[in-house]
Amino acid sequence: MVRIKLNSRVKASTMLEVIIAMVVILVVFVIGMMIFTNVLKLSLSTKKIRAQALLGGFMLNAERAGANSNQLFTVDGFRIQQEASPYKNDSDLTTIQLTAYDQNQQKVAELKKIIIVQP
Amino acid sequence: MLKASALYIVIIIALVIGILCSAVIVAAYFYRNEYQKKFRYDRLENNVSSGINILLAGADTSNSAGSVFSLFNNDADSVSLKRLSWGLYDVGIVKAFDQKDTLYKTLMIGHTVDSSKWAALYMADREYPLSLSGKTIIKGNAWLPKSGITEAYIDNKAYEGDKGLVIGHKYTSDKNLPPLDSNRLTQMALLFSGKRPGDSSINKDSICNSFLSDTRVFNMGKKIDTLKSVTLAGNVIIRSDTTILIDSSATLDNVMVFAKSIFVKPGFHGKCQLYATDSIGISQKCQFTYPSCIGIVSYKPSPGLSPQIKIDSNTTFTGIIFTYKKYKGTNSTIIEIGKNVTISGQIYAQESLKFTDSSVISGSVFAGDLLYKKDFKFFRGYLIDAHFNVNLLSPYYLTSGLIPVAAKKKKVLQWLESN
Repeated sequence: MVRIKLNSRVKASTMLEVIIAMVVILVVFVIGMMIFTNVLKLSLSTKKIRAQALLGGFMLNAERAGANSNQLFTVDGFRIQQEASPYKNDSDLTTIQLTAYDQNQQKVAELKKIIIVQP
Repeated sequence: MLKASALYIVIIIALVIGILCSAVIVAAYFYRNEYQKKFRYDRLENNVSSGINILLAGADTSNSAGSVFSLFNNDADSVSLKRLSWGLYDVGIVKAFDQKDTLYKTLMIGHTVDSSKWAALYMADREYPLSLSGKTIIKGNAWLPKSGITEAYIDNKAYEGDKGLVIGHKYTSDKNLPPLDSNRLTQMALLFSGKRPGDSSINKDSICNSFLSDTRVFNMGKKIDTLKSVTLAGNVIIRSDTTILIDSSATLDNVMVFAKSIFVKPGFHGKCQLYATDSIGISQKCQFTYPSCIGIVSYKPSPGLSPQIKIDSNTTFTGIIFTYKKYKGTNSTIIEIGKNVTISGQIYAQESLKFTDSSVISGSVFAGDLLYKKDFKFFRGYLIDAHFNVNLLSPYYLTSGLIPVAAKKKKVLQWLESN
């Protein structure tokens, strides 16, 4: 059984001190959360990185096949559009433009390269 | 007495939260910075790759002066392209820029082989048949004289090879070999005449000159010089109006040597292009790695002189050996292949090709005439114990635009420099 010392005094904070402390901690938390959300918002999304990696793979395949046609692929939740156009009227070269769109049809990543057309 | 001190505790908590927040900001900043760096690097690499494709698809003379342009007419896609004629091959220099960042690559460009013209043996039609004796093997397509190919008993040897004589298709050859590319010969003549200023002696142990810099030329003049205990690599040309001797202690890597005559001493190892107007002698036990070249190029009439390439016994050579004479005289150019010599690549002998014993050619032979030498005896139109095998050549082998079997398609032969 706990015995309470009646002759000792517990010193409490004043009302003003508690209110100031609450305000300060609230302001600090709000600033902290704002910084955190800003960092999260501005940092690169994994979606963009994934889309760029996918485009790199598609470009490699297009180069190997010497592709020179427009195509559309749907991979991993992305719609990838391949556009081919002749490079400066050179019949041996093609400009390949790959664009990745997410499910909201927002452009996520883009890649352009000049490749040699296979005969 | 227990102190409440709420404000004091709150300040401590605020400080901790502040430190955590700044750590998150710094981490995000560095992550973003590094990612942007990688993104820029990837974009530059992509642009360099596009530049390389433009060089590979272009004609041999395109971009020879160097050009800087925008690939897609956008920001941050500028590239600089330059093509340098480097003997039998071309050297491509590609740079991509983005603000202060530059990415470059230098590469050697070779031609793929046109399979319809590719032959284990092309012997010009000199109105006598090709006779085989001993353990001669011809694997691959063969272009032979109209009088055909026969077995022969010569030098106490009967033919012991394949009954079909040629393991591949047989076609009829013309009186002359398919000609060498005239544009490439003109470019080579410019390198030969070489009016460029240069040093008269090599005064350093090691010279490695980048293809991004101007070509370093050493004009040896009219004194016979020996390349000894020296390492020469890259964009270096050595010229001489007389003879150049190359010692086994010299290391040559992608350099070109132009002289009246060149003599390589026994045991030399290297990768180089040697061109002479009169003669080239390769001593025994030398090793030339791919892509090497030995060529006799005679642009002027040389009466009484018989330009020749002589490769001594037990030498290994990977690359191209050729002879070219603009003015046909009484004496023919000769390529002489010694005993146990192994050649991986191509031989183009405009006039005569002389064999001794047990030579192995992994690749292709184009010869105006075939000679066999044994002691002091010469046999014309005979092959004895010779091995010609196209299938032994690497499937990744690339040839030069000079040789008539070159296809239009070009590929990267070797990477030289990059950052």
